Amino acid sequence: MTRHHPDSLSLMEYSAGNLSEPHALCIRLHLDKCSHCRSRVDTLDSLGAVMMEHQPKVSVSESMFDSILSKIDSEPTDETVAAPAPRVGALQKLLGEDLNSLPWKRQLGDVSVLDITDRFPGQKEQVVLQKLAAGGKAPAHTHRGEETTIVLQGAFADQKGVFNQWDFVVLNDEDEHKPVAVGCEDCITLSVLSAPVKLTGTFTRMLNPFIR
Amino acid sequence: MTTLDQKPASSEGRKDPWSQMLQKVGKHQDREAYHALFEHFGPQIKYYAMANGLASHAEELVQEVFVSIWRRSCLYDWRKAAASTWIFTIARNQRIDMLRKMQRTSAEMPVETEDLWQIPGDNENEPVTSLHRLMSERRIRASLSHLPEEQITVIAKVYMENKSHQMVADELNIPLGTVKSRVRLALNKLKVILQDQNV
Repeated sequence: MTRHHPDSLSLMEYSAGNLSEPHALCIRLHLDKCSHCRSRVDTLDSLGAVMMEHQPKVSVSESMFDSILSKIDSEPTDETVAAPAPRVGALQKLLGEDLNSLPWKRQLGDVSVLDITDRFPGQKEQVVLQKLAAGGKAPAHTHRGEETTIVLQGAFADQKGVFNQWDFVVLNDEDEHKPVAVGCEDCITLSVLSAPVKLTGTFTRMLNPFIR
Repeated sequence: MTTLDQKPASSEGRKDPWSQMLQKVGKHQDREAYHALFEHFGPQIKYYAMANGLASHAEELVQEVFVSIWRRSCLYDWRKAAASTWIFTIARNQRIDMLRKMQRTSAEMPVETEDLWQIPGDNENEPVTSLHRLMSERRIRASLSHLPEEQITVIAKVYMENKSHQMVADELNIPLGTVKSRVRLALNKLKVILQDQNV
């Protein structure tokens, strides 16, 4: 079971471009802060380049090159040399600057959730933000299907260790855990659930990924 | 479908010829170098599009990739990625982008493809570890020819046909565990898996 870093197989699916958008987001958020995994992905990207090079050759026409040239010539030149605008990360684009001020829905005790599945139209997975108040405990629970989680703020601990900001965790139905938010900040995580689960009415509490 | 003819390693020396050409495009808008890149990588990208189900859009993808190469070449840093690796990631992203645009409107895409899939070198805070990166591509090219065909087949399906491990298992009619172990064996030999903690 993956703890703290994505495993090589997931990184390979990422490098090949085969992951769903929510899963790719989890990996990307981790990569932005983990040079160790970044360099593993660099190697995998090189594997992709070498695989592409080893495929049968097909021909491209010169007229295609001409139409590429006319495309680049029709663009304003300053656009081609201008430095890119300062990047706003995926997380800010999706959720804004302040995670704490999102419209959280209070669940049991120390746990709040926010379902952001609708930010990923056309994707099969459920995407949920979870917040465990500083020092708070979530009841013991197991996971349905596979759940990929990245810590966005603060840290939590369970019997298997401490998970800090940008740590990556994959849990499945064999993992029972009892997370506790550690440190002085609320712990906020982003989870992608493989099984399409709909959070509705009175079932919300039962289906909530933190508490099941 | 996979050919493993050994080509002369193109990345001998500190900077391989394709990376030099890409740098010329970036620095001087050199059209001769750009044309050479098109002749070398154009067919690869066209095949890539055909292999992953975009056959009717293959030429369109090649064009999109090359326009993107032209636009971004000023950001290319050979110390951060070999040209072929950099171009592979652009082709991958343009493919994803094309599929996303076919499936929904831009209003439905709060996050851009590049927010999710990174092009190496785009993050200026990234440390430069040139030797490691260029070495890894050379090493992969060299060691790929020693892998058993069954492992290469699986990797080719993942990278070229863009099939998940599960889809590869279904297609080859073998258990998912077998696909994963073939991938792990291959990544192990390619030393990608080196730093894995829990495999």
